[in-house]
Amino acid sequence: MGMTAVEKVLARASGKASVRPGEVLYPVPDFIMIHDGVVMGAKHELDALGIDRLAAPDKVIIVTDHDVIYGSARAAERGDFNRKAARQWGVQNFFDVGRGGHGHIFPMETGMLLPGMFYFDNDRHATNAGAIGAFGFRVGAEISRVLATGTNWVMVPKSIRLKVSGNLKPGVHARDVGLHLATRIANGSLKIDLDYRVLEFAGEIGQFDLAARTALCSSPTEMRAYGVFFPPSEEIIALATARAHRPFTPVYPDADAGYEADLMLEVGTLEPQIALPGGVERAVNLSEVAGTAVSHAFIGSCGSSMYGDLVLAASVLSGRRIYPGVRLFIAPGSERSTRRMIDDGIMKIFIEAGAVLLPAGCGPCNDAVIGPVHSGEASISTAANNNTGRFGARDAKLYLGSPATVAASAIAGKITDPRSVAASQDVLRLAREAA
Amino acid sequence: MSEFDWVLKGRCYRLGDDVPHAGGVIPNRYIIARQFDPAELIPHLFEETDPGFHQRCRPGDIIVTGRNFGMGPKMNGYIAMRALGLGLVCDSMPFLAYRAAIGEGLRVLTDCPAVTEICESGDELEVDFRNGLFVNRTRGVSREYPAMPEALMDIVAVGGNSGWLKGWWQQRQNA
Repeated sequence: MGMTAVEKVLARASGKASVRPGEVLYPVPDFIMIHDGVVMGAKHELDALGIDRLAAPDKVIIVTDHDVIYGSARAAERGDFNRKAARQWGVQNFFDVGRGGHGHIFPMETGMLLPGMFYFDNDRHATNAGAIGAFGFRVGAEISRVLATGTNWVMVPKSIRLKVSGNLKPGVHARDVGLHLATRIANGSLKIDLDYRVLEFAGEIGQFDLAARTALCSSPTEMRAYGVFFPPSEEIIALATARAHRPFTPVYPDADAGYEADLMLEVGTLEPQIALPGGVERAVNLSEVAGTAVSHAFIGSCGSSMYGDLVLAASVLSGRRIYPGVRLFIAPGSERSTRRMIDDGIMKIFIEAGAVLLPAGCGPCNDAVIGPVHSGEASISTAANNNTGRFGARDAKLYLGSPATVAASAIAGKITDPRSVAASQDVLRLAREAA
Repeated sequence: MSEFDWVLKGRCYRLGDDVPHAGGVIPNRYIIARQFDPAELIPHLFEETDPGFHQRCRPGDIIVTGRNFGMGPKMNGYIAMRALGLGLVCDSMPFLAYRAAIGEGLRVLTDCPAVTEICESGDELEVDFRNGLFVNRTRGVSREYPAMPEALMDIVAVGGNSGWLKGWWQQRQNA
């Protein structure tokens, strides 16, 4: 039997001809990522053991995305600690405040993360790597062992193949697909358990560019998938080649690979979705909750902060202002996108609409270190999830939708179908060229 | 590693399906407080469902659970189980729970379908974690379940991740 895509990635990284689900490996990563919130814990743990040097400091990437502008004195202290840690460890790839951006976005945009690669990450949204055809493996606090020894154990996960059929209608977005997919899994109409599985997309996926694929990595992760994988299209290979820092070998599943389940997902009839407060798996058609008043809106997070997402939101906001009493936060995925927004006139649209630009990173989605909701408020966002208390008061109502839905809702002050707002075609053209 | 006891002989402590880590295994307040001290955690193991469990259990006893045991990537309960010398055999557990148990050096078998159907609390069990052999002496039944992966045994034998890392570093210093 052949191998799935992620099995091939793991086999290559482990120097093996083939691997099977359940096998325990010690793969050698192409790089190791750790974010600003956990450097301190890992450093203290290693220091206590007397471990004062890393196995491969040249492979380590420290990103600053969880608490970028130091919403507290404690965060400023942590930032100072992180800078010292990077120096002591000899980590050159330290992306400090205002450098780089979101660790699960900018490496794809800058050619650090390339098709076929394997890497270790402390954070579970490493699953985004599948958008470009790579595999990032979350080890949580066990990142300390990876830092010290260069590897850690990986049990080869089972893969589930999901064949997409149909094409999205205009105005329907990959995030809508993700919310719908999560809901279908939760209500049992798709009979799969994503716990520690890799969700490998197949079928009519040519319609999804890198931003859309990234968006589609989000909801499965909330449903406990450990990996998502898209076989890279020609466009994505071309994009990766243009940005690559080094040679890479894309990976594709074998025709006779073994999947735990093989499912179909029809997307051609899908309507824009809204996840009701409490979880990504609580999605309904937007029409069911249209008109619900909102006062907090946010576009960003690991699922929706690629340049294409930002431009899509701008196409809806172009020439309009957000509703009185609504605050709209935009957190780009990368400093690169922030700069591009200036060059392309997108920044002007956001500012003139009355939105607030946040530094590249996680925005409110990380524990409300910035831009939280208040008790009793309703929010609409593209956050990774809307679990109770995700970004602020536990009794706030957190709704999720696509970037276009959030933009349309911010303009109207209530949940609004983006198809009812004429988008700027000039701006949308930028989105198509943006990939 | 040779002195490590991979075979546990003790009594069965049977639990059902979907026992969450927070509340089901250990009160959530110890998880939130990031309490990792075994002495502090032991009195509270299964406290919300079975107060005094820690006084009645004996080293070698085996917790046998249904599906989806220990939901959540937290390790506090496993710290207490290991310190009490207990083993864990589950019909299934979410991967992060399994990884957390291994990381704390717990002897654990998972993917043992219908294991709760062949034992009751109090039965005399013998479980070999090296090969997955599960024997219920009281009922005279046995099953062969998936063994603990060999590659993870060196972590469990030294008490989990921190013990492993400590040993690795010492070995490197001495080399």
